[in-house]
Amino acid sequence: MKKRNKSKTIPACLFISILLFPGLIPGLAQERPVIYNLAVELLPETASLQAKGTIIWTNLSHDYVPDIHLHLYWNAFKNELSTLAKEASQEKLFRRFKAEKGEWGWIKITSLTTSDGQDLLPAAVFISPDEPPNPDDQTVLRVVLPQPVAPGQSLTLNIDFQAKVPKNGLRTGYFQNGFFISQWFPKPGVYEDGRGWNCHEYHLNSEFYADFADFLVKITVPKDFVVGACGQEVEKTEDLAAGRATYTYAQENIHDFAWTASPRFIKIERWFKGEEEVTPEEYQQIAALLGLTVQDIKLPDVRMILLIEKQHKNQVERHFRALRAAMKYYGLWYGPYPYQTITLVDPPFRTGSGGMEYPTLFTAGTSVILQKDVLSPEGVIIHEFGHNYWYGLVASNEFEEAWLDEGINTYSTSKVSAIAYGAGRLPLKINGLPLGWLIKTPAVYDWQLARTISVPVTKLDPIITPSWKFYNSASYTLNVYQRAAASLYTLERLLGEKIWARVMRTYHQRYRFRHPRTEDFIQVVNEVSGQDLNWFFQEFFYQAKDFDYAISSVETKLKPEQAQDLIDELPARTAEKGREAIRPAAGQKKGSSKQKIYETAITLRRYGEIQLGPGFSLKLKVEFEDGSTEWREWDGQSRWHRIYFEKPVKVKRAWLDPEGLWLIDTNLSNNSYSRQGPGTRILGVTANLLWLVQDVLVTCFGWL
Amino acid sequence: MILVNFLKSGFNRAVSKFRLSLYLWLIMFIISLIIIVPVSFELRANLGHLAWTEKPLMPFELNLIEILLANQNLLASYLVFIITMLLLSALLSVFLNGGLFGQMLSPETGVSFRNFLLAGCRHFWQFLLSLIIFIPFLLVLFLIFRLLSAPLEQWSARAVTEWPVLLASWLSVLLLALLWTAFRLVLDLARILVVAESKKVIAAYLSALRFLSRHFFRLWGLYLLIALAVILISAGWLLLVRLLSPASPAGLMIILILYQAYILFRLLARQVLIGVEYSYFSVRKET
Repeated sequence: MKKRNKSKTIPACLFISILLFPGLIPGLAQERPVIYNLAVELLPETASLQAKGTIIWTNLSHDYVPDIHLHLYWNAFKNELSTLAKEASQEKLFRRFKAEKGEWGWIKITSLTTSDGQDLLPAAVFISPDEPPNPDDQTVLRVVLPQPVAPGQSLTLNIDFQAKVPKNGLRTGYFQNGFFISQWFPKPGVYEDGRGWNCHEYHLNSEFYADFADFLVKITVPKDFVVGACGQEVEKTEDLAAGRATYTYAQENIHDFAWTASPRFIKIERWFKGEEEVTPEEYQQIAALLGLTVQDIKLPDVRMILLIEKQHKNQVERHFRALRAAMKYYGLWYGPYPYQTITLVDPPFRTGSGGMEYPTLFTAGTSVILQKDVLSPEGVIIHEFGHNYWYGLVASNEFEEAWLDEGINTYSTSKVSAIAYGAGRLPLKINGLPLGWLIKTPAVYDWQLARTISVPVTKLDPIITPSWKFYNSASYTLNVYQRAAASLYTLERLLGEKIWARVMRTYHQRYRFRHPRTEDFIQVVNEVSGQDLNWFFQEFFYQAKDFDYAISSVETKLKPEQAQDLIDELPARTAEKGREAIRPAAGQKKGSSKQKIYETAITLRRYGEIQLGPGFSLKLKVEFEDGSTEWREWDGQSRWHRIYFEKPVKVKRAWLDPEGLWLIDTNLSNNSYSRQGPGTRILGVTANLLWLVQDVLVTCFGWL
Repeated sequence: MILVNFLKSGFNRAVSKFRLSLYLWLIMFIISLIIIVPVSFELRANLGHLAWTEKPLMPFELNLIEILLANQNLLASYLVFIITMLLLSALLSVFLNGGLFGQMLSPETGVSFRNFLLAGCRHFWQFLLSLIIFIPFLLVLFLIFRLLSAPLEQWSARAVTEWPVLLASWLSVLLLALLWTAFRLVLDLARILVVAESKKVIAAYLSALRFLSRHFFRLWGLYLLIALAVILISAGWLLLVRLLSPASPAGLMIILILYQAYILFRLLARQVLIGVEYSYFSVRKET
C-alpha cells in the first residue's frame, strides 16, 4: 500500500508542470540548457542503481551540433585501465584511489533513444578527448545524432541506465548501508559556442563542469533510509508492501545533483533568518564597504537541513553555527543565497564522500573526538558551503581552471573563519587522539598557513594549469587552493579592503549562473580597481616563479673621525699678499668631532624571479636607537639595492614591506632585521629539538 | 618476599648507583647536541636577526616552516647525517647497556666512569650477540601480535561508527606494548645472567627462559608496575610543561631544566627496572 504525503503534493504538481512545460515561465526554456527528469532506485543488497528518465538538452549556441558528449564518470572506477586509475597508480604520496575485487564501480546506458524513438546507442562511442589519449577510458561517451541540433532547438534523450556504486570511489561510495551518490547519471558536457563540446575525461585531480539545469529526481530507497539530496523534497510516497519509499526532489538552475541515503542519519531542520543573523549595524557597515544600500544586501531566509550521523549528534550546534556564519558572510559579501534550501551532510561513515560540494548540498565530515579550539569541522563546513558560490553559482570550469573555484573559495573561507572564529589550532592527531591534548599546537589563521605551505610548489607548476596536467596531486592541491588564495590575499592588501570587496562582489554578481574564465576575473579586477593588473596575473598565475624580496644585510660602522667635519691634515695656508692666513678655528682640535656618526648600509635583494609590476614599490622602514624612523622605497626591479644612512645612532630594526602587503613572498622571515633577534624563541626551539633527539636516543637505548 | 620489597630493593640499588644515569645522560646529551648543531646553526643564520614584534605577521612556528622550506636542498644531506648518527648511537647503546648492566650488577657499591666504560668494553660483544639472538624472539612477538590483534581488526573492519575503530586501534597499541614488555624480560634476564653469572649468551637465554617459565607473571607484573609509574609520571610532567610559557627567559630556563630532569628520570627508571629484575632473580633463582 502506498502512503502519500499530501501536504507537499500540490506545490509539487505545480513545480513539475513548470519543468515539463517550461514555456509557462517566460525565458525559462531559453536560459536553461538542460532539463533532467530522472527516476532512480537504490538496491542496497547489490550496491547498484537502476535508473531511467529524460534529458532535454537545448542548443544555446549558434552552431549546428551533430553530436552530444556525455560524462559517464563512474566508469573511472571500472578497472585499472581508466585514466583516473592510471593516474592514481602513478602517485607516490597521495594515492587516493585503489579498489579491491568487488569494490569497482561503473555506469552502463542500456537504452538511449530520441523522442521519436530512434536508437542512439549504435552510434555511441567512447572517446578520449584529453592528452595523452587513453583508448581504454570510458568516462566520455560521444553520441552521433541522426541530424544535427540546430541553434535554439532541443534534443530529448530517453535514457535507461544501470550503475554499480564504487565502494570508495572518490567522493562517492558506500559502506554497509550508508550511501553517498554523486556523478551517478549521464551528464552532457558543456557546448561552447564556436569551440565545441567541453567534456573532459575523469581525472584523478579534476573535478567537474556542467551546464545549469533543472532537476526533477525521484529516489527510491528502503523505507528506513533517511535521504538527503540537492534541492527541495517535494513529495514522498511509501510502498509499505515492498518496504520502499520514493522521495521526489526538485531544483532549478543548478548544474549537478547528488544524494545520500543511510539508516543512520538524524535529520534536523533549522531556519537561517536574514534579519536575525545580521545586525543593523553590520548591514550598514557592509553596505558602506560595498558602496550599496542596505536593501541591496539584505539576506533572505533559507531552510537549513542537517543530516548528521547518530555518533556525531552532540556536534549539531557546531555544525549549524559554522553553516550560519558561512551563509551570513558569503551572502553579505557576494550576494544572497538564491535557493530555498541548503543541505549539510555529515557523510555516511567510510564512504569517502566528505569535504565535497554540490549545488544546494554539501558534505563536511567530522570525528567523535574533537578539540574546541581546532576549527574542524567548522573549516570544512564553511569551505564546502562556500563552493555554492564559487562553482555552484559562478560555475567556472573545474577541469581547466580549478583555481577559480578552489582558490577563490579558499580565500573566502579564510575570511569567514577569521571573522567568525579567529585563529584555530592545527588539527593534528595521533591514533585519533588530538595532539593538542599533549602539546600546545600553534594557533594560525588559514591565510597564514596557506601562504606558507604553498611555497614548495611555487616553481613546479603555474596556478593556471589544467587539473590533470599538474606534476602531482600535491602540486595541484597546493597551487589551486593555497597559492591561488595567497595571491588573492596579496591583491586584497595591495588594493585595499574596500576596492577588493567591490571587485569580488562585482565578479560574483556579474557571473552568477554563468561560466567565467580567468580573463573574465582579471577584467573585473582591472575594471573595478581602475588599475592594470595584468602583470600580476601574468607573473603569479600563468607562470611558476617565486617572489622573494629580502633584507640581506645591515652593516653599521662608525664613520672615521678624520672623515668627519671639514678639518683635515693639510698645513695652514700661508698668507698671500693682501690675504689672511687660513688656520684652524680657535679652540677646535684638528680631526676632532663632538658627535659619533654611524654609517649604515642596508642591502636589499631580489632572490625571486618575479619583479614588481609598474607603479608598485617596496617600502623599507628603519627604526633607530633614538626612536627615530626613516622610510625609503625601492622599485624592486634590479637584483639588489643598497640604501645608506648616516646618523649619530645605530639601526635598531628594519622591515621590508612593513605593512605586510606582499603575503605571496615565499620567505617573509628574511624581510626584517633586528640587532637583537628572537633569541629566546630560537633557544626554545633548539631546546625542544634537543629534548626530542634525547628522547629518541633514550628509547633506542632502552630497546637495545 | 612480597613484591614491594623487590621494588624497594631495585630502587635502592638504582639510587645508590645514580651516577650511572648521569654518565648516560651526559653521553646522550653530547650526541644529541652533535645532531642538533646544524639545525641550530641554520636557525640562527636565518632567524637570528628576525625583528620580532608584539603582533607578528605570523606565528613563529610558520617562520620555522619557511626556513625549512627555504633550505630544502640541505634536507637530504641532513637526513643522511641523522641516520648515520642514529646507527652509530645504536651500536653505542649496546656498549652503554653493557656498562650499565655491568655496574648495576657489580657487588661494589661505588661506581666510576672508568669502571663503567670498562664494563661496557667487557660485555659489548656478548650484548651485541644477545641482541642478534633476540631477533627471532621479535618475529615470534610479531606473529603473536598478528594473531591476537586479528579479532580487533575484524571488529574494526565491520564497524559502522568510529568508536570501534578507535578502540580497536588503541587496544592494538596496548597489546603490542604488553607483548613487548613480556618479551623484553627475556632479553633483560639473559643479560643479567651473562653479567652476574658469567654465562655464555645462548646458555643465558636458555636459563632465562627456564626461569620465566616458573616466574613469568610475577616478574612481568613488577615490570608493568614500573612501566605504569613511568607513564603516570610522564603524563604529569607533560601537563606541567604545557602550563609553562617558554616566551619569557625565566619560563624557558625552567622548561630546559625540566626537559633534562625528565631524561634523567627515564634513565633512572631503566636502572630501577634492571635493579628490580636482578633483585627478583637473585632471590628466586633457586626456586
